[in-house]
Amino acid sequence: MVETGIPKLDDFLDGGIPKGKSLVYYIQPGVEGEIFGMQTIHSTLKSGGTAIFVVSSTIPDIVKGQFKEYGWDIDPYKDKLFFVDSYNPLIGAPSNEKYVVQKPDNINDFNKIILDIIKETPPGTIVFGSLSTIMDLCGEKETIEAVKTWNKMAMVHDHVMVYNFTAWPYSRETLELIQGDLFNAVISIGGIAERVIFGQYFGVLKSDWAEITKKSMLFRVLRPGGVKLFIPKILVTGPFDAGKSTFVHALSTRAISVDRLGTTIAMDHGHVDYKGFSADIFGTPGQERFDPIIKLLSGESMGVFLVVDSTNPADFVRAKHMLEITKSYGLPYVVVANKQDSSGALKPEEIRNQFNLPQDVPVVPVVAKDKIGVFEAFEILIDKITGGA
Amino acid sequence: MSDTIELVDKLLADLKNIGGVEACIAASRDGLLIRATMEKEQLMDSLSAMSATMLGAAETAITQAEKGVPNRVIVESEHGKLVVVGAGSKALLIVLAAPNAGLGLILLELEKSAKKLKDILT
Ligand SMILES: Nc1nc2c(ncn2[C@@H]2O[C@H](COP(=O)(O)OP(=O)(O)O)[C@@H](O)[C@H]2O)c(=O)[nH]1
Ligand SMILES: [Mg+2]
Repeated sequence: MVETGIPKLDDFLDGGIPKGKSLVYYIQPGVEGEIFGMQTIHSTLKSGGTAIFVVSSTIPDIVKGQFKEYGWDIDPYKDKLFFVDSYNPLIGAPSNEKYVVQKPDNINDFNKIILDIIKETPPGTIVFGSLSTIMDLCGEKETIEAVKTWNKMAMVHDHVMVYNFTAWPYSRETLELIQGDLFNAVISIGGIAERVIFGQYFGVLKSDWAEITKKSMLFRVLRPGGVKLFIPKILVTGPFDAGKSTFVHALSTRAISVDRLGTTIAMDHGHVDYKGFSADIFGTPGQERFDPIIKLLSGESMGVFLVVDSTNPADFVRAKHMLEITKSYGLPYVVVANKQDSSGALKPEEIRNQFNLPQDVPVVPVVAKDKIGVFEAFEILIDKITGGA
Repeated sequence: MSDTIELVDKLLADLKNIGGVEACIAASRDGLLIRATMEKEQLMDSLSAMSATMLGAAETAITQAEKGVPNRVIVESEHGKLVVVGAGSKALLIVLAAPNAGLGLILLELEKSAKKLKDILT
């Protein structure tokens, strides 16, 4: 099994790509998809595997620079990572790589080298930086025939085959084959401009070893960092003085607040980078006089933290009301039972009872001021937002 | 989708070409960054959130005082200017300008761009 290294995708694929299987990253033009293949190379190397990168659309040195940009040091893997250079010959430049495709516009030249690699190197991950470029140079039919052979041979020799493919307007037949029978798994990578969420997503279109999930994940490409799952908005709400601002700051890699006289008058805004996730956190004020603004700003949330002061059950009515104002019913939410360090703090189960909360709403014990429980709460909410593991 | 993004980018680039304009951002009314002319994503994210809050608060304040709806929010400091205008019910436009930038032309163009952005997003 080789992990793709893309957060959540490995869960969707029941752990990763099994030996002998092929997978294509099917990329809408204009979307930053080529990093997916690179991230899978990095993941292979990190777990001790061997990787071959077939570089067709730029010189290998530039690709090596891109690995650095993403923060992935490939220098320690000199005897584990090899490049197939099919670009330098195209522009008539010399190549220093171990494998060179001398005639990149001739599929037979590719065939010979790829088959040699499949037969003669130990089982590893073979990644094509751009199958579409090979197709442009060698022809659609010819390339597809070659890929069929490579995938079959790789199956027998226990290699994992990974292809980046940009879905330019090729013939319908070609695109259908690529989304259909040619590979064991198809991951579609696209862009959305839905309402005001402008972003990029990926989802599993096909997989013949794992049951497929219909869910698509928004992602961002960070330099350094690579592909991170992106949650554009998580709301933090709750009564005055419950510890919302403290919670936002405890969770965030960086955060700002608009506070006057010790209380939030506009909002808190923070950014969390944690376990492959990149999320923006919006904290609301708590007092009723700010309700009109809270309403305005809570749209488009993907999940909610409802922060309560566990020592102050009198405020629970207001807390529930805030779920209403923020239109949070129906969204995944987690109750943050804050100030668990104070004497008289109610236990999470007592809070559940007082609140009359359904069993499936998690109540997480937290001491926001000491950062205790904040990341547990984050993981639980993220799991609810992304539909569990 | 890429068409919409291209259009928004073009609109922001045109706006940025006006003398004195340093950066432009399209954001949602609820504070999410749509697109920006500046790469600093972190700064753009929080600017979007804060500008939406300012415009939201201004709107609430002035309508409650029965003075209509605000045309824009302008913030001036020694080191620069920040202008926020609504662009339809879903979006807003933010411009960061140099301290000595003349607001006349900027506001005029900003109004036009806001109308365009509204149309692009519907
Ligand atoms: N004992 C205790 N106090 C806390 C905790 N978290 C926050 N506080 C305090 O509660 C008060 C209100 O916190 P703040 O984050 O401003 O609340 P907000 O009004 O909900 O934003 C401050 O005095 C914090 O120091 C906690 O976990 N334990
Ligand atoms: Mg606060």
